Formats: sequence, structure tokens, C-alpha cells
Amino acid sequence: MKKITLTQIKEGSKARIIEISGGHNLIDRLMNMGVYKGKEVTKLSHIGLRGPVVIKAGRSILALGHGVAAKIIVEAE
Amino acid sequence: MIKKIYLIGNPNVGKSVVFSRLTGVQVISSNYPGTTVEISKGYLLLKDSKIEVVDLPGTYSLEPTSSAEEVAVSLLKELPKEEIAVINILDATNLERNLLLTLQLIEDGFPVIICLNMCDDATHRGVNIDVDKLEKILNVPVISTCAVTGVGIKLLIERIKESAPTARKKIAHEERWLEIGRIIEQVQHLEHRHHNLREVLEDASVRPITGFLMAAGIIYASFKIVRFVGEGIINNITDPVFIKLYQPILEKFTFHLQEKGFWFHLLIGDLINGKIDFKQSLGVLTTAPYIEIGMVLPYVISFYFILSLLEDIGYLPRLAILLDNILHRLGLHGYAVIPGLLGFGCNVPGILSTRVLESKRERFIAATLISIGVPCVPLQAMIFGLLGKFGGFYVGGVYLVLFSLIAIIGFILNRTLRGYSPEFLLEIPPYRFPPLSMLGRKLYYRIKGFLIEAMPVVLIGVLVINILLYLKLFDFITGMFAPIIQGLFGLPKEAIVSLVIGFLRKDVAVGMLMPLGLTVKQLFIAATLLAISFPCVATFVVLWKELGFKSLVKSTLIMITVSLIVGSALNFLILR
Repeated sequence: MKKITLTQIKEGSKARIIEISGGHNLIDRLMNMGVYKGKEVTKLSHIGLRGPVVIKAGRSILALGHGVAAKIIVEAE
Repeated sequence: MIKKIYLIGNPNVGKSVVFSRLTGVQVISSNYPGTTVEISKGYLLLKDSKIEVVDLPGTYSLEPTSSAEEVAVSLLKELPKEEIAVINILDATNLERNLLLTLQLIEDGFPVIICLNMCDDATHRGVNIDVDKLEKILNVPVISTCAVTGVGIKLLIERIKESAPTARKKIAHEERWLEIGRIIEQVQHLEHRHHNLREVLEDASVRPITGFLMAAGIIYASFKIVRFVGEGIINNITDPVFIKLYQPILEKFTFHLQEKGFWFHLLIGDLINGKIDFKQSLGVLTTAPYIEIGMVLPYVISFYFILSLLEDIGYLPRLAILLDNILHRLGLHGYAVIPGLLGFGCNVPGILSTRVLESKRERFIAATLISIGVPCVPLQAMIFGLLGKFGGFYVGGVYLVLFSLIAIIGFILNRTLRGYSPEFLLEIPPYRFPPLSMLGRKLYYRIKGFLIEAMPVVLIGVLVINILLYLKLFDFITGMFAPIIQGLFGLPKEAIVSLVIGFLRKDVAVGMLMPLGLTVKQLFIAATLLAISFPCVATFVVLWKELGFKSLVKSTLIMITVSLIVGSALNFLILR
């Protein structure tokens, strides 16, 4: 187990969120969309050159800007 | 006693479709979050009393994190809870995420009734929900519906009166998801399904390589279809009707009017080689209807057909992912494609939908870029009509200039405006294939809207222009602006009339260029200038409303500066 950010894990891999190192607004917004500490997510895709990261959380597909994804720290298997 | 009914739910669960079903009021619905940016109101007849129904913008939570959510939540608290009913609309394919808002509504003591929408789609995807059990656990009425086909709506209306507050303990934000997890375990059963074609396409469209290939294919095909359908309608329907049917009738009824007389000038305009020429005569009964119905309407139909199709399928948010990168350099993020694409239809809804962007800064950049670099369908149709015969090079050239301007101005604005633009954070809807009747209704609504807005302005506009031309009142402006128009842009001084009329309507403005006998270079410059110079009056009003006076002035100054630079650059440097 190692702690890295959502931008660093491979496409197709599963990870558990251990911290969101952003402001309150970001944490709340993500929380409301079902992305919060302890949630398991799957990284679906990552558009190159600092493009967005697409994840699956529960049954939702979410696109996160590169900056947001870099703030989400996960535990990869 | 219920005085008002509110429709609330997460973004993109079909609130607007339910709203249309309940009230009969047609509103635009699409398959992406944030279609509803204006609050729609309608009435539902319930036991002989008319009750107002309000369609709120989508919100994930009662603790708002964006301005659209704030609007929804504050409206909900306008009336005392005893006087309202809240229909909470849920997407059955994603029950878990939707329940957060539901729990908050119930905990806060709102009289809630749950409309579990998209039930057919859930079944398709192997999601089975035990509605009775959910009703028991939440202790509020739950009705499963499929709003696009109308299934369950009658039952929903019957049970509105059962909405009543229930006692439910308030819990901490963090605990709610755990609670929801427990509820889901009891009521939701997932069948394991193999990936079907739809899911394969959903995945492929957001992956880097396949995504860009698909995007290129879809954009190319869309463009081709818009042209094919638009031209098809012109060549096979509108042109024959105008030339074979309308023209003889017109000639019969007006032959007694004296040519060169006031009325003849007003209604028919000038005869070209002794005949009515719909493109050049400039009369209220000749060129005015021909521009709107014979040249613009066919493209309005074909454009909105494709846009509505892409909207309903749910492709646009995927395009937003792919373009996020580039748009970030312009101080925007991926979701700015939505206002951008709507702007290609008409700048007004485009600028209205900049409300999907969070910050004032982003909205200013997006609105300014749309006003300058995104030509509306009527303008595009006229540019095709005017420049098309000189080959794709010139038409393509106009687009090239416009897109370069978007890139350059966006880049500069992003570097010079204070603040920074927020990050992209968007839920991507699954692909959906709503019934064709839905698409047809939306198309009909948009086309009707276009005709109602455009026709009176065009007819009255051409009438007034003709009177002014007859009385030679334009000569004053023509003389005043001659140095700029002739000296800088290399256009005949009469072209100012067209640029001024561009403020009224862009399509008529291009129409005014037609009789001037311009060269290709002059047409190219004039058409480009019409696109970038100044928005039409409707867009201008919306800009004012959305941005405020100060930003409007700033935006306008940018437009005027850019027009002067681009006009002279094209004249002196590029097209020598």
C-alpha cells in the first residue's frame, strides 16, 4: 500500500480515498457528489498534458480537473 | 393547503421532463447537468384548484456550493413548509448519490414526495429497486416513473396530497453516506451484466485516443449533416416555394404599384434586371421573408436537429472532458463547451447558459468570447449563402479568423484579469436514447421560438430601413464613418448601413451586403466584421443582464478594439 494522488495511479486501477487536501468548498462539493474520505473509486481515464481525470464512484462517473485530482490522496492496491 | 409545488433533485435527473409532464409547459431538457438555468413556472390542476409548480435548478445538497444551488435552496425556503409540497426527483439508475438530498429534505421537515425517475433505464441496466421497502424506510410516498414516456405521472399527481413532513433525526454530514449505504443494501439489487455496446462507447468516448477520434468523427459528421440537411431543405423545399409559388403571386398583386414609387420601394424594393430578386431587392415582402425563411430557417432546423440529438444522447459532457485542457488556457474549463455550442445556435441562450460556470471571471470571459468568436446560425447561414459560391476556402477562412480570435483573446484575458478560474468538476451522464418524439418536440419548440423572435424584428426592421433609405437618412452616418469603412476596412461606404443593422439582426445585415456588388475580399472582411464587431441587440441585453453594466462596457470596448484591428489587418496585411 502506498499513498499517492489520483493523478498518479494507473487507468483502470481501484483506490481508496484517504484524504482530500483541498479547501472546505472543494471537500463539500466532492462530498455532495459522493466522493469522500474512505470511498473506493476506480480511475477510468486520464487525458494527457494535465487534462482531467475520469473516475467512477459508486454508480457515478465524474470528471475532475487535473488540479482537483492532484488534491485527492488515495491508497492504491 | 398546498399553495406551491417545488421540483427538486440532483442535476440531470429529468426534473424538466417531469415539469413539462405536470404543467404542459414545454421547457428544454437535455442529458447533461445544468440545462435549466432559468427558473420555470407552470400550473397543475389539482382537484379544481390551480397550483403553481416551480422547476428548480439541480442541486446535490441543501448546503449549496454553487450559485445555481443557492438559488434552488433559497426559493425552497420562500414559503412556510405547511404551504408547499416538494417533489424530490431521483435518478433510479444512481439511487445512492440521489439519496443525500432526499435525506436532507426529510430531516429538515419538508413535506416530501419521491419521484423515482428513469425506472425503465434502471431496469435496462440491471438495477432493481424495491419501491415499497424504500417507501417504508423513508416514511414518505415513493412513486416510480418514466417521465419521457409519461409512465407513473398520473399516480404521482394523485399522491401529491400525501406529502407531509416526517420525523427523522438530523445526522451529521459524514454519517449520512453510511446511512445511505445501509438503505441501498436493503432496497437495491444489482444484476450482473456484461458490458454492452452502449457502455463500451461510454468508456471509449472519455479515453484519450479513442475519445479524440470519436470527437473528430462526431464533429465532422455533425457539420456535414447540418450542411446536407440545410441545403437539402433550401434546394428542394424553400427555394421552389419562393420562386415557383410565391414570386408569381407577388408579381400579380403588385404590378399596379408604380415602380420607383414609395410603396413599391417599401414592399418589393428594387427590381434586378426587371425582375424580383429575393436576394437583392430588399423589400419587406421580398428579401425580408426570403432571408429568414429561405436562407436561415433551413439551417436553424438542421443545426438544432443535430444539437438536440447530441444533447439528449449525452455526448456534450464528454466533449467537455476532452477540451478541458485547451479551455483551461483561456481561463475557462471544459464545461464552457456547453455555452459555446449553444451560442452557435443563438448567442442569447449561449450567454444565459454561462451560468453553468462558477465564477464571475469565467462568465465574463465566456460571454465575451461567445459574443466575438461564436457566430449564430442565422449569421452562419448567410455567410454560407454569400461566400459559399466562392468556395470553401473563404467560408473556412471566416471560421479560422474567429477561432484564432477566441484563442488569442481568451489567452490574453486569462493572463490579464485578476483571480483564477476554478477547476473542472462534473458528473458525466450515461448515454441515453430518449424517444424520437421528445427530440421532435424540442426541435419544434426551438424553431417556433426562433420564428417568433426573428420574424417581427426582420419585417419591421426592413420596413424601417427602407423608409430611412428612401428618405436618405443614412447618408449622414455613411459620411461620418466613411474614413473608417473605406480607409481602414477597404469597403464601400454604404457598407456601414449593414454594420449598423448588425446591431438589429445579423442575418439582415448580411442581406444588406448582397446588393452592394462587393468583391470576395470585401465580402470576407464585411462578414468577419459582422461576426466580431458588435452583438445584436438581444445579445446585448442579455450581456447587460448577466454581467452587469461595468462588464458590459468592458466587453464592448474589447469588441470594438478587436474589430478595428482585425478589419484593418485583413484589409492591409492578409488579403492584399
